[in-house]
Amino acid sequence: MIVGTIYGVALNDAEEIERLRTSFSAAPYNAPPLSPIVYIKPRMCATTFGAAIPLPKDESELKLAATVALTIGRDASRVEAGKAMHHVASAGLALDVAIPFESYYRPPVANIARDGFLPLGATGAVGIPDEIVTAIDDLDVHCWKLSRLVRSPAQLIADLSQFMTLRAGDLILVGLPGDAPRARLGQRIRVTAHGMAQLTTLIATENAL
Amino acid sequence: MRRARIFHQGRDIWATAAGDGSFLTLAHGEVIPAASAQWLPPLTPGASVYALGLNYADHNKELGFSPKMQSPLIFQKGGNAFVGHNGNTLRPPDADQMHPECELVVVIGKPARKVKEAKALDCVMGYSIANDYAIREYLENYFRPNARVKNRDGATALGPWIVDAADIANPQALRMETRVNGKLVQEGNTADMIISVAGLIEYLSSFLTLMPGDLILTGTPQGVHFCNPGDLVICEIEGIGALVNNLVSA
Repeated sequence: MIVGTIYGVALNDAEEIERLRTSFSAAPYNAPPLSPIVYIKPRMCATTFGAAIPLPKDESELKLAATVALTIGRDASRVEAGKAMHHVASAGLALDVAIPFESYYRPPVANIARDGFLPLGATGAVGIPDEIVTAIDDLDVHCWKLSRLVRSPAQLIADLSQFMTLRAGDLILVGLPGDAPRARLGQRIRVTAHGMAQLTTLIATENAL
Repeated sequence: MRRARIFHQGRDIWATAAGDGSFLTLAHGEVIPAASAQWLPPLTPGASVYALGLNYADHNKELGFSPKMQSPLIFQKGGNAFVGHNGNTLRPPDADQMHPECELVVVIGKPARKVKEAKALDCVMGYSIANDYAIREYLENYFRPNARVKNRDGATALGPWIVDAADIANPQALRMETRVNGKLVQEGNTADMIISVAGLIEYLSSFLTLMPGDLILTGTPQGVHFCNPGDLVICEIEGIGALVNNLVSA
């Protein structure tokens, strides 16, 4: 049971930023982003122990963005990056699921804030792996090198904590790969990273759950 | 009945207000004057909070948006954002365009999944008031309204209490107003919501499960008034009460 708020950040992937750079100066954005772009996964998103992801009726595939979920252990308010990780209690793998969307203009709540759209792996000691590998039906399809993060987890906590306290029990998803893979009904997903408990799940029909 | 969350003798507790609301009754029967209560936001830990942008046609026109959005503009809030009745909200020195937003708050009372509009009000436990400040200088066009505008520590006043749904005959016929230092700056009626309380529950529950304690902040009517440090801001909604907030220098 999660008692805090689950925060994620969009556009924290340097390769994705580079790909979209020209569009940032055009409408509706008109300027590149300055602050971290925050979204929230409501508590009903989070699942554990390999629970299936419900595929909404009318959708054929889902975007699966592997990331690290950090659990805040001590309130972080206006902390500096060098001390930010002292506020983190544990880390685990997470799979941030979304109905694919293109625009970053409005919060895509109906695409991301759905029951079961955040399978979580077991949490362990604090650490950020070099890479996270996603396999679909036992085939490695994506490698997310966390060196691509624009803001490191420590920098992210520091920047967010300038205006919003990250409270003990909150979760922070450290960033999503812009080229996250997609999967269809019935496919099995496995997310692995060195030193972290693996996460497995599958995509089922909404009605089957 | 009205239920308030207060800090009392070292503990967070719920209390009930009777009559004109000038006294609070605690669980063990003690009665204290409301004037001396330390009010906390009436929020359940872990609650998910959904907030509507642009849900009053007059406010949309004022901001230069079309009267009705193609799909509802919904954003979310974390627990850090809230401050209780009579609390302080910080105004950063460069926030010359910081304005209050009076909103009807819906508190969910039972799990709601794929609920139709006609049955939606059965899922409501009660109603409260929010003053969801915005700082227009901090708006960015990414997941707008972005967190630096709408998820600031203590920049969403909530309270003073939750009024039972049974005591609100029609949530779409409530006068609402905001006064700053006594001057009327915002005036509206929940009748003018683009999507009603029941419609919002149908929409949200069409793709997620609303859980007991979850909140929906249903948007604000017209009246953008920029505030200064030291301002006393009171948001009042008919049948619910008056939520007081003090704007102070950060």
